[in-house]
Amino acid sequence: MTRISLGRAVLRGTVSTALMVSLMSASALAAPVDLSKWSPEYVRSIAGTQDFDTAGDCGKVTPLDYKGRLTFWYQGVFEGDPDLLRQYYKEFFETFRKTYPNIQLEEQALTYNDLLDKFRTALLGNAAPMAVRLQILGGTEFAAKGYLEPLKPEDVGYSTEDFWPGAMKAVTWEGTTYGIPTNNETMAFIWNADIFKRAGLDPDKAPATWDDVVKYSKQIHDKLGVAGYGLVARKNAGNTPYRFMPQLWAYGGGVFDEATANPTYKEVQLDSPQSKAALQASYDMYVRDKSVPVSALTNQQADNQPLFLAGQLGMMISHPSDYNVMLDLQKKTTGSDKDKAQTVIDNMRYGLIPTGPDGKRAVVFGGSNIHILKPEYVEGGKVDEPAAKAIICMWTSPEWSLKMAYAGSNPGNLNGFKTKWMKERLDSIKFLDVTTSMLPYGIPFPALPQSPEIMNIIIPDMLQNALTGAMSVDQAADDAANKVKALMDGGL
Amino acid sequence: MTILTGKAEAHPRLQSDRSGVLRKIWEHRADYAYVLPSIAVMLIVIAYPIYYTIELSFFNTPPGLQLRDKIFIGLDNYTAILKSPVFWKVTSNTLIWTVASTLIAFVLGFACALALHGEFVGRGILRAILIIPWVISAVAASYIWKWIYHSDFGIIGAVLVGLGWADRPPNFIDSVGTVLPSLIVVNIWREFPFAMIMMMAGLQTVPDQLLRAAKVDGANAWQRFWHVTFPHLRNVSTVTILLLAVANFNSFIIPWIMTGGGPSNASHIWITHIYELAFGRQRWGVASAYSVLLFLILMALGYFYVRALSGNERKDGSA
Repeated sequence: MTRISLGRAVLRGTVSTALMVSLMSASALAAPVDLSKWSPEYVRSIAGTQDFDTAGDCGKVTPLDYKGRLTFWYQGVFEGDPDLLRQYYKEFFETFRKTYPNIQLEEQALTYNDLLDKFRTALLGNAAPMAVRLQILGGTEFAAKGYLEPLKPEDVGYSTEDFWPGAMKAVTWEGTTYGIPTNNETMAFIWNADIFKRAGLDPDKAPATWDDVVKYSKQIHDKLGVAGYGLVARKNAGNTPYRFMPQLWAYGGGVFDEATANPTYKEVQLDSPQSKAALQASYDMYVRDKSVPVSALTNQQADNQPLFLAGQLGMMISHPSDYNVMLDLQKKTTGSDKDKAQTVIDNMRYGLIPTGPDGKRAVVFGGSNIHILKPEYVEGGKVDEPAAKAIICMWTSPEWSLKMAYAGSNPGNLNGFKTKWMKERLDSIKFLDVTTSMLPYGIPFPALPQSPEIMNIIIPDMLQNALTGAMSVDQAADDAANKVKALMDGGL
Repeated sequence: MTILTGKAEAHPRLQSDRSGVLRKIWEHRADYAYVLPSIAVMLIVIAYPIYYTIELSFFNTPPGLQLRDKIFIGLDNYTAILKSPVFWKVTSNTLIWTVASTLIAFVLGFACALALHGEFVGRGILRAILIIPWVISAVAASYIWKWIYHSDFGIIGAVLVGLGWADRPPNFIDSVGTVLPSLIVVNIWREFPFAMIMMMAGLQTVPDQLLRAAKVDGANAWQRFWHVTFPHLRNVSTVTILLLAVANFNSFIIPWIMTGGGPSNASHIWITHIYELAFGRQRWGVASAYSVLLFLILMALGYFYVRALSGNERKDGSA
């Protein structure tokens, strides 16, 4: 009797375990990536170690024969992106339509600088899309205002541990998660080795500190007459905070205490001596040394790219994708310009972003997140949640979160690093190691609803006020700090 | 004969006028029924937004709250605007922008109209060429000029440096001192053809007999222009200047695309500042207060425009 019961129990256990294993997706079985070991070598060691069945995994979230309709906005590919990314975006939507043939998808791509304004306006008129992929800077604002449905990785078949903790912070507001990271960006420092050599600098060594950047920029400009560093200070453009904040944090400054491990966002630090030192460095390059592009106040990074390709710019901060952008731009050149461009490409070097005087190194932990809207703000007043989850599952899958970030960014889903595409990417995309190495230095923008205004308006205004001489460096920093304080106090 | 001497006597006439208006509406009720849908649409798309803007101007709309959770603050938005140094900067920019653009575009357009009024070979082609800036979209024009001015790639800078007249490309739109005049040049380039067309049309109405008579009387070209042509063009000039002034006061595309109001607010005019406050910073309350003030100013300009128009009509005997 006992033996029979034990046998049945063993049999039942075996069957149920087998059933459970068969029901679990490959990603659920995968051990999370060990962030404590994070390094380019570790990334190489895990690349290509696991296969994922995207359609199979997403079919468990939303059946593949599901019939529905989805409106979806996303930050699309724009002028500064490589053609490779364009190709992957096209493939993604084709694959989604093949995988879910009965979901009527109406997608709309918007540029980084237009998306927030258009999305805000649509929300005011209850005419938003059902799902949206927004830059990391915007999520908290919309969550705080109550526009977004709670949404966490587990809702689309993944685990929170599959995503970077820093990225998850940016989609969390008052303890609730409102979105899922699609990709995480950390930029690198890029320089032209030939320009360095001709200016009397070591061609294979990036400037170690931001003070070196100022010094090198002047040396390049004085000796060769070209711009040294690609300063960007345009207002209402994401490029500006992505380039200035690493400098501000490296000098030990900040808007608040966002560069610390557990930020409280209580005390404004834009007027601290460290923040002023960072602003002074930009002032020295633009006003004192005149060693950066004259057009820095109206430039975006897309304006620095042709300058760099033409050999008119020595150093800049950007993604690994800029290498592919240069290759794309070179294809469009003709005659002797083609050879000149090739020389610049051959002399492109990537390094870690310089440190501040105390050895602090920082980079913006950027990227995008995907969200589902509450029905009352959506055109027609209805959200097709299974359809929204289908596209979110697919975009945040190890496969597509890697492919959609192929040339310039990092996959939001850490399991993307284990895919065969990651291995292929490591072999085909130059300089990936450098940006991967920058990931641990990534600092997210303050997770506050006021962050878009601080980063897109107040910080560029501070730079412009100082660089145009409208205010002194001290006055510009104090003015910006006062504006942030007034903003946080709910002032007009 | 009844002499109306006071309020008590005035009332019956007003009442009679009013009942006359109502009677006329009643008599033409079928006609009014036809325009009723249009009036309803106008109320929805014009009257309601105006009302809502006025309402919003009395509320604070902090960035962390939805618009429906706005906080009533009375006239605080208006007082905050008047106390803000940006208001005075933006107002002075707007005045310089409007007055300079309007007057220079008008004078240039008038001069071109006079030059093109006489018969000469190639007049048609020249007319067509001069109208081009007006028919190009403002967005395209802004991008073209942005590249012309660009401090690192721009053709003007390249020529100046190439000729050895400058060590470094000048900062046309990256400098506080030069950005507004640079944008005004673009605006004038875009608008002078409009003034030219208006004045060319006006010149067609100047009677030839008068000009010939003045010539017979010994008047020279300047005297004929000043004493015959110009007085005839007074009304069309007024209307042209007012239309240009309203368009310039409300002009958005060129300053927004070329500089976004920068650097350091040096090229922000009212309309770009309102856009940034509302859509970039979500200060709907303050932006609405600015809009209400702008609305009042434009209404005043509109009043002068209508008065100038009705003056024209009376002079033509058509009113």
